[in-house]
Amino acid sequence: MLIRLAGGRVVDPANKRDGVGDIWIRGDRIVAPPQGETPDAVYDVSGKIVMAGAIDIHSHIAGGNVNTARLLLPENHRAHRPRPAATPLSTAGWSTFETGCRYAAMGFTTVIEPAVAAHHALHAHLELADIPIIDKGILTVLGDDDFLLSLLRDGASKAAVADYAGSMLAASKGLGIKSINPGGSVAFQNNARTFDLDDVVPTYGVTSRKIFESLQQAVIDLGIPHPLHLHINNLGVPGNVDTALRTIAASGDRPLHLAHLQFYSYGKEGKRGFSSAAARLAEAVNSAPKPLSIDVGQVMFRQTVTVSLDVVRQFDGSKLAKPRKSVIYDGETNGAGVVPFLYKSDNFFNAVQWACGLELFLLVNDPTRVFFTTDHPNGAPFTTYPDLFALIMSREARAKWLADLPKEAVEMTTLPSITREYSFGEIATMTRVAPAKLLGLKDRGHLSPGALADVAVYNDDPDRAEMFRFAHLVFKDGDLVVRDGRVTHYRFGRALNVQPGYDAATDRRLARYYDDLYGLSRDMFKVPANAIAPNYAFEEVVCGR
Amino acid sequence: MDGAAVSLETAAAKAARLLETAQLPVIAGLGTDVAGTRAAIRLAEKLRGAYDHLASDVLLRDIDVMRQAGRMVTTANDVRLRADCLLFIGPKLSEAWPDLAERLDLSARPRLAAEKAPRKIFWLGPGRGEAAALGATEIAASPAALPLAVAALRAAVLDRKTRSDGSSAQKLKDLAAALKAAHFGAVVWSAESLDRLTIEMIGGLVFDLNQKTRCSNLPLVSGLNAYGVVQTSGWMTGFPPRTGFGRGYPEHDTWRFDAMRMIEAGEADAALWISSYATEAPKWKRQVPLIALAQPQTRLPYAPQVRIDVGAPGRDHDAIEYSRDIATFTLAKATRASNAPQVAEVVALIDAKLAKGSEAC
Repeated sequence: MLIRLAGGRVVDPANKRDGVGDIWIRGDRIVAPPQGETPDAVYDVSGKIVMAGAIDIHSHIAGGNVNTARLLLPENHRAHRPRPAATPLSTAGWSTFETGCRYAAMGFTTVIEPAVAAHHALHAHLELADIPIIDKGILTVLGDDDFLLSLLRDGASKAAVADYAGSMLAASKGLGIKSINPGGSVAFQNNARTFDLDDVVPTYGVTSRKIFESLQQAVIDLGIPHPLHLHINNLGVPGNVDTALRTIAASGDRPLHLAHLQFYSYGKEGKRGFSSAAARLAEAVNSAPKPLSIDVGQVMFRQTVTVSLDVVRQFDGSKLAKPRKSVIYDGETNGAGVVPFLYKSDNFFNAVQWACGLELFLLVNDPTRVFFTTDHPNGAPFTTYPDLFALIMSREARAKWLADLPKEAVEMTTLPSITREYSFGEIATMTRVAPAKLLGLKDRGHLSPGALADVAVYNDDPDRAEMFRFAHLVFKDGDLVVRDGRVTHYRFGRALNVQPGYDAATDRRLARYYDDLYGLSRDMFKVPANAIAPNYAFEEVVCGR
Repeated sequence: MDGAAVSLETAAAKAARLLETAQLPVIAGLGTDVAGTRAAIRLAEKLRGAYDHLASDVLLRDIDVMRQAGRMVTTANDVRLRADCLLFIGPKLSEAWPDLAERLDLSARPRLAAEKAPRKIFWLGPGRGEAAALGATEIAASPAALPLAVAALRAAVLDRKTRSDGSSAQKLKDLAAALKAAHFGAVVWSAESLDRLTIEMIGGLVFDLNQKTRCSNLPLVSGLNAYGVVQTSGWMTGFPPRTGFGRGYPEHDTWRFDAMRMIEAGEADAALWISSYATEAPKWKRQVPLIALAQPQTRLPYAPQVRIDVGAPGRDHDAIEYSRDIATFTLAKATRASNAPQVAEVVALIDAKLAKGSEAC
């Protein structure tokens, strides 16, 4: 099947392209304009914007904790928009099916679930198997399990840590490694209520800093494309910008991704002791060595639920739960917390948080280093993305909101002074080019011949939120799956994973460890690649140093 | 089919006719693995029917409290490795999880605890002989007295006055002191033997303890993938079982979509009963048209229109199911592989025989 998308404005910054032209698709790939061939289908997209499919690097879309949130909050998904009954379970609010449909409708074709505890990977993959259309992947969370902490306590070699990480990735079928308030879950089990970068994990004598640096090195040594994805200490705490700055300094010039930095951009100024330090933090990011990247975790004003493996934070946050019910989980390799939350525009703290996120978007100069996230659903559900695109693309849209926010909150930020507006090119860089590069997905994020034919076509609607909410056309692997914001049919994407080499002796050592500690075979915890679901296929992302 | 042997294809086609000509079909039992659950929920949606699970009364008692009041929760392995003080509450826990003591490794000291002292083990309101079998300190309470005993314990933890009498009041005070002194306590219970208010009171007790120290709940969830069905239902529809699709989207109502009630009240006019783990049979009296996907030895209460004998997950075929041992899903390899049909296959076949056809996915 040869398809021609004719006469659209092609925004493809990877190829420095922004102008009217055609895109050709053959099978599942973009191809150069063929000579003397008649396309099987032509779509007139004149006046429309054509981009590669968008990639979300950090969105909690699957796994045991997300599912706990669903079961905890039946009232949150009773309302839904009935759709035509063409696609199974697409009317099920906040289901895996709806997740795939709504991402696709916005032109997203790859989404990464960034926080899966190593022992819960099969559950996450089972849910991903029921998310239609998009490709997906998980980041495996390490940093709080006894095996690793014992290695670090005993002064194991870098190679031993890397072998362990490689084995855990293989068992969980992950795309990369995440660490969340490293050591914090163990500290919480030992009754700590705060946990900082240089705090020591009880009984192991190892600091959080040591864990993160060791995992960061392991990722480099294994040649995993995606740098260590780090959720740092002290999330949400006033004055925590210092923690973020110390972490950035600790990283040096080694690759590191800092997740949802908005939640760490808080100072202690003002009479309420809470202010935006986002400008300072953005400056630190701008002047840090290039391998440092961040995503924002923007807050939007509405009801949501926070889902996090940072149990120290979640237990503390449960005091502010709204509605007042939370699930706090202690697991043998990681804790977790599910805490419902209502962000309100008339709340001083929430208004400062909202402004912090936008300051980060607008003050980090390089759109290849700042990633577009709401930390779904922690800052806001991903369904608010269109509104967020509108905010970063329009000073006027921001001004409208700022006018309604508490004045004392606005005074705690620099947002009113910022005039920057994102261009389509910068949007495409931030949501296509940069994520593909960060995750090592060479055939995505751009529209060069040979690229995967994941393509989103948008109406050039002056209402940018409307534009990004309902794509005009979306192709996944060259298959037209969305027309005018509606999913036409299901197809099932692939799960991206890495398979770095490691010393197989580690597997034997881990097998003995599980037998001894749990009295259970380690095989029970492994993801059985071929048994998840008939439509579930893996795609290997190549590692290499 | 009606007592006569026919091909699987023919049986599936008849089942499809029965289900699609019903006004409101219900899929009940749902004793199956993840693959079977996925297929059954999809079928229920396509039929605009409802689905329920055979253990829903217990499952939803637990979930109802969780979604009303929240919860702190931990896993058996975490208790095994870290808990220095355990409190069992209520009778028949050894029946709910026969090899629990072994999984929790109760006779050993907690390997990953900061201080590896022998564990303190208490049992409030055990069944006869249960506490002694585990080496637990027994604090007697009849099932009827248990709710007040838990309330008195919670009061003792908060240093509040109670009206309970002398000796049991002192025992509860001692227990409260032990829980408060614990580094990582665990309260072990099962919704099978407790009512909603007691479960909520235990949840409150654990929240209270965490103001100063650490403690968590270990609810003993039903086995045979019952909890896996809840999880699968959760991600597919947002809700646990007792969910219906009559309006074209999922609605969850623990009363309205109780399969037994729907059938006895004459609301549901056809039933697909699924029980592949055990020989459980439907308990309703009203003889609605019945399609049974059951183990061969199952004794059904009346003659089904269609009966398809299926294999057991993890015995006749490999299956992904929820494992209580690891508190998440695992692959259970077939222990005695056979050619017996799998629930997922059979349901998919019924789905394919519907007049409106099967979805491409």
